[in-house]
Amino acid sequence: MQPIIRALCASTLAVAASVSFAAAPMDDPQSARTGWHPAIQSGYDLLAEETAQLAEHASRYCAAPDEQLRAQLEQHWRDAFMAWQQVRFVDFGPVENNNLAWQFQFWPDPKNLVARKAAYLTKSDQPITADLIEQSGVAVQGFPMLEYLLFDDALSGGENALPAPHSCAVLTTVTKHLASNSKQLSADWQSFKTPYLNTEAYQVSTLKSAMAALEILEERRLAKPMGLRGNGKRNPYITDAWRSGTSLLSVEATLRGLQQHFLPEFLKLLEQKGELQLAKRIQRQFDAALDNYPEADRPMTVLLSDDKAFRTLQGLYVDVSQLATLVNDQAAVALGVVRGFNSSDGD
Amino acid sequence: MDRSRRNLLKAALAGSAALSLSGCSLLPRKSGFNPEQYSAAVGKPDGTFGVSAFGLNGQPLWVSPVATRCHSGCTRPVSNQLVFFERRPGWRFYVLDASTGKRLHNIEAAQGEHFVGHGVFSPDGRWLYATASRYEPGEGIVAVYDAEQNFQRVNTFELAGIGPHQITLHPDGETLAIALGGILTHPDYDRLKLNLDTMAPALILMNRRSGEIVGRLNPSHHQQSLRHLDIHPSGKVYIAYQHQGPRHEMPALLARMDHNRLTEIRFDDETQAGLANYIASVIAHPENDLVAAASPVGGTAVVFQGSTGKLMAKASIPDCSGVQALAGGDFLISSGQGKLVRLGAHQPAQDIAQLPLYWDHHLV
Repeated sequence: MQPIIRALCASTLAVAASVSFAAAPMDDPQSARTGWHPAIQSGYDLLAEETAQLAEHASRYCAAPDEQLRAQLEQHWRDAFMAWQQVRFVDFGPVENNNLAWQFQFWPDPKNLVARKAAYLTKSDQPITADLIEQSGVAVQGFPMLEYLLFDDALSGGENALPAPHSCAVLTTVTKHLASNSKQLSADWQSFKTPYLNTEAYQVSTLKSAMAALEILEERRLAKPMGLRGNGKRNPYITDAWRSGTSLLSVEATLRGLQQHFLPEFLKLLEQKGELQLAKRIQRQFDAALDNYPEADRPMTVLLSDDKAFRTLQGLYVDVSQLATLVNDQAAVALGVVRGFNSSDGD
Repeated sequence: MDRSRRNLLKAALAGSAALSLSGCSLLPRKSGFNPEQYSAAVGKPDGTFGVSAFGLNGQPLWVSPVATRCHSGCTRPVSNQLVFFERRPGWRFYVLDASTGKRLHNIEAAQGEHFVGHGVFSPDGRWLYATASRYEPGEGIVAVYDAEQNFQRVNTFELAGIGPHQITLHPDGETLAIALGGILTHPDYDRLKLNLDTMAPALILMNRRSGEIVGRLNPSHHQQSLRHLDIHPSGKVYIAYQHQGPRHEMPALLARMDHNRLTEIRFDDETQAGLANYIASVIAHPENDLVAAASPVGGTAVVFQGSTGKLMAKASIPDCSGVQALAGGDFLISSGQGKLVRLGAHQPAQDIAQLPLYWDHHLV
């Protein structure tokens, strides 16, 4: 083994250099937050609107179920879920309260807790109340539970399939919980405006949130199910939203959310740093990744099982991967954002 | 570790490689037990993990590979052994030969329990006290192992609380001090914090023979998660918090135990902002009245006077986390970017080394 320490003479000069690198203030950071706040607000407002409609349609469907209402209900779930995907990157601020982000979407779910909890709730004799949903944990409280009720093959073929009364009760109660959380989140983000604008640390929080979202997108939502990591086996079930076949649609929504809510101010920051070329490349790379749609909008199972379809997925992956490199490596260095081994650990 | 994370770390290393230094010198000796050797959990650029030890000549003594990321460890007195715990939720700890890194034991957590990354030995090196969690009921415990009986589990002490983290031994040799974070987690829910509204963090003092809790002190705010602590040879206990409230709240993150209560230590707003509501390590220097703490989230390390809380030095070190006391009165700070930096009260921070690996949280 070659020596892995280079023991070096102390150099204050070098530390001074690292200090200025780490602490370099960004140009007029509040102006970026001034732009980000209303952009994210519009995303949260849309989420509140879509989840309110979802809750309303769930009640309507369960009151008088028919095929048309069912189709509308499924579409409302998709619309609301995509509204969430567009703001999913925001991992700080009010969405941290009561683990709201986890309540919206419990994932990853390697132990299939959503199915286990659903099986328990839909078969249980106890009345399904708002309190029960409140106490049942994050695996019950959001989009994956609704997706299970609406799209799971095994459930749909059994006696507890919607519109079975108990399953309908879970559906309507969870949609109301989701709508209530969304409304709260939208209001809380509004109240968060003053501390958000006045606290410089939220600048880096916002940048890191988008970077983390791209990393999750590249690695956990694409590379892993594609078999590019770990044991090398393709597996559509380790990404999210596979039951509804919307894994790739949700990838598109995440990219569009970042493009719409995050990118404009991000590009301005890079331009202020003199990184005009990098800003242009990032802007173009977002377009390139989104150009894979609508072709890439197919269920992950289809994209993984057919070689021709898999090439489409590979094209998307390459574009997202390049985007992640531009943002998470090059832009991060340009803006002095450090995403570290220890800083993201939480202990 | 997934590939993008590795890429990220590689990029981070590439960024700091610009700070290339020249020349060679010995690493300073650390203070206290086994002064000519440092050890720590490490992440390696190839994405694997290990526990590593380095000597004063700057050469690696050994790197012992481990299956998953480890967190911290402790030295076994009156022997030549090291124990390292897996990162929370930790399913095992490793006992290593401190001279060779050879794995002597691989001890699995008991059914229904996981370790949380820390442990400490009795002064005679016989008993290992490891903080752990019974994760279904969410009960914090101290698991006791007999090192002379191949680390058999021999006892369990109840903490009557949730989320213990670092544990250390008071210089009286009889009292364990435990930082109880108060945060409920469950392996099914990754590292999701399940009880932020009802947290009850505390500093717990426990008789190491009977397990009797002899002191329980609470911070000023219920979201001040007590995670790390250290005790000066004089008996002064220093505790580091991780604040679970919003980032724009900037409460005190350090405290000293005075006459059975916690005196909290808060610096100026700029320094507090640099600590980012998160301290990963705190060390009281055994040779003087200085205490050092490091925040990887804020990329800031501080040195302050223990008795007064007066800030003495501050350095920006991206992803800094591990702290050790150096012989002579300074501190060594390690970072997830492979850096070792010497920091003291009376001269500017000095880069000591840049390594192609990622130092995990604690220097042992």
